[in-house]
Amino acid sequence: MATVLRSQCAFARLFAGKTVQILNNATDLGAKLGPGSQSVLSRKYSNYAHSPFVTKIKEQYDYEIVKKPAEWAFVKRLLPLETIPAVTPKETYPSGWIPPKEEATSLPYFIARTKNHEVPIYLDITYRGMRKITKIRKIEGDIWMLNDEIKSYLKQKNGRYVETRVHEIGRFIEAKGDHVHDLMQWAYSKGF
Amino acid sequence: MGSRQITEKSLSMLRSLPRISLQNIRDNPNSKLKNKRGRGQHGGDKHGAGNKGSGQRQNFMRLGYETGNNPFYLRIPQEHYYRGHHLRREYPPLTLHNLQKIIDKDCVDTSKPIDIASLIRSGFYNFSPDLKQFGINLTDEGADIFAAKINIEVQWASEQVIAAIEKNGGVITTAYYDPHSLLLLKNPKKFFESGQAIPRRMIPPSDLIEYYTSAKSRGYLADPEEISKERVKLAQKYGYTLPNIEKDSDYTMLSERKDPRQIFYGLEPGWVVNLKDECILKPKDQELLSYYNS
Amino acid sequence: MTSALISAIKRLHISVVPQIRVFSSNAVSVPSADQQNTLTVTKKDWAFKPQYTKPREVWIENIDTIEEQKLGLFELHPSVYAASPRIDIIHQNVVWQKKIRFVSWAHTKTRAEVRGGGRKPWPQKGLGRARHGSIRSPLFRGGGVAHGPRSGKTHFFMLPFHIRLNGLTTTLSAKLAQDDLHIVKDLILPTDNPDYLHDLIEKRNWGPSVLLVDDTDYAPRNITVAVDSIPHVNIMPVYGLNVFSMLKHDTLVLTQAAAEKIEEQLLKWLNADTRTQQQAYKLNQV
Repeated sequence: MATVLRSQCAFARLFAGKTVQILNNATDLGAKLGPGSQSVLSRKYSNYAHSPFVTKIKEQYDYEIVKKPAEWAFVKRLLPLETIPAVTPKETYPSGWIPPKEEATSLPYFIARTKNHEVPIYLDITYRGMRKITKIRKIEGDIWMLNDEIKSYLKQKNGRYVETRVHEIGRFIEAKGDHVHDLMQWAYSKGF
Repeated sequence: MGSRQITEKSLSMLRSLPRISLQNIRDNPNSKLKNKRGRGQHGGDKHGAGNKGSGQRQNFMRLGYETGNNPFYLRIPQEHYYRGHHLRREYPPLTLHNLQKIIDKDCVDTSKPIDIASLIRSGFYNFSPDLKQFGINLTDEGADIFAAKINIEVQWASEQVIAAIEKNGGVITTAYYDPHSLLLLKNPKKFFESGQAIPRRMIPPSDLIEYYTSAKSRGYLADPEEISKERVKLAQKYGYTLPNIEKDSDYTMLSERKDPRQIFYGLEPGWVVNLKDECILKPKDQELLSYYNS
Repeated sequence: MTSALISAIKRLHISVVPQIRVFSSNAVSVPSADQQNTLTVTKKDWAFKPQYTKPREVWIENIDTIEEQKLGLFELHPSVYAASPRIDIIHQNVVWQKKIRFVSWAHTKTRAEVRGGGRKPWPQKGLGRARHGSIRSPLFRGGGVAHGPRSGKTHFFMLPFHIRLNGLTTTLSAKLAQDDLHIVKDLILPTDNPDYLHDLIEKRNWGPSVLLVDDTDYAPRNITVAVDSIPHVNIMPVYGLNVFSMLKHDTLVLTQAAAEKIEEQLLKWLNADTRTQQQAYKLNQV
């Protein structure tokens, strides 16, 4: 402790009487420092912009404040989106994205779109690629009827029985194997 | 026996069940994994780690060490094309297919010029300037299906991409941003809130001057006359008729470009944007004006 | 055990009643014969439309008379007020709310902190006794505790943002489904007498404990004075709404403005990209 104090004093003695001059050298050209900003000891700041060399500078440049400027439209475009925008209906969607159809809501079961307007069908790969499970999320309505339909559709598509598992509380269905493409096609055909 | 109408059914069940309170709620059974070290048969064993040595103590050998053999990584010849990979500039790719998807989902406004700030705002592209990533490399996957008329500014683009965009009556520019400018473009709101003046964009480093001054790559420092000649040449090479953008209804949008010193569209270097009071502070000092205009 | 539960559920005679929409035109005012004031039916046009589940309709009640008057019908968004009731998510939220501010002050002394025990109790060899170096070792009576609790242990952790969000929607939906959520027009009482509030709660079959939620953090004088003297009736601004308080009170009473504000805020976060917003709150990550 004593050694630290002595070294600090030694440091202070070096700069005694010429602090203002030294700090003026450190700041931007011609900047004036307010009183009380002189810190003799050297410090490390995380950011130059937040160091007293910048924050303690007194304003000296001439500037003009423009209220409600015409350029504010350019600023608005840069600010982040508050919510993900809704898709306006178009004639064609070249990317292959398909909008949900109105008639899907009259079915006894329903798969809701995600907030990014995608069908929530995912592939879970576990055990280093040994186990692949297709997961359909956000199911509403009659989940067991949807399960039966998926089972028969996948059997007809693959020519074999496909195991599925229904999670009622989590409202999702898992099918054994990679059936993402098939199930996507099925969901689009139903209008989800 | 399965219930139908999951949500409706469970909500109507709740109607006749006792009131949910702090006393009668619980987590799903077995949802918490107890990782306790047991003491019974196998439970108190060595947990498959074997007896003594590196297996039990996890003091593994350094990566690549083969207990005295000439290691594999030294046995084979060196591959020099990886030399200096940590210093090279990186351009995370964005495919034309993904760009079309962003446009289809209305996450980016095609009636305004598109730059890296608007693509990050859409939420479908991200990059980190502190990892030496210098912006978008627009790649040609999905060039066949691409059908949007846009004015886009990217950092790297191939000839096929330029052709795909110009074929649909759009305009593409490749522009260089220094890492500091890219940080501002990545999160403009954070920068405006910091209350600092918008800096100038730096000019490209010497090895990139050629790319950004060439009309072939639609560089932002290239001569506009040369670019219009190259547009015709590319149309002839790929065999499409070049739409006349001078007669287009969106000509003002398509002809909008940034100044080589400008970072944001419409906002000049030296300005301070005050988001709280919705005003812009513009410098009038001659010294500052000459600095920011240089 | 399970069969008893199943038979109990069977006895409840549960049936899903199809949702019948009484009024379908936009913002109709139907004058009612027996009441002086008109019955307003508000149909809402949300920015994020309900996809499959139908909107919930609730009565707007009054609290300026002890007798209940229906002032109108009000639509609530199903994503917020008719979400799937997940008891496990409610439980996780309650545990989080209890633990986030809990610091355990349980404390035991180790062998080093227990007084004495510096001397070797008996020689290492020659006595036929077990070897010991200190009378304060954990093996000794009155010795220190090995691996005991040490004070000042925080149980702070952060529940993922969307589980917190889901906790709010689930609890609101469960409260609405159990008839424990009431919407009132405003919180204006004719008197500041707490007996009036007692009578009102008794008459309406609310509570006994009631949580009143308004959209502002200043309330009319009468209700604040009345609520002040009743310990089990509390008032809260909308930004203070939380799962624990909703479960702690039997009945939740929202003002119309509060219900709308809750709906607006929760719908906003359910449909927003929260990746950059949540980056700053991610713990245990670089």
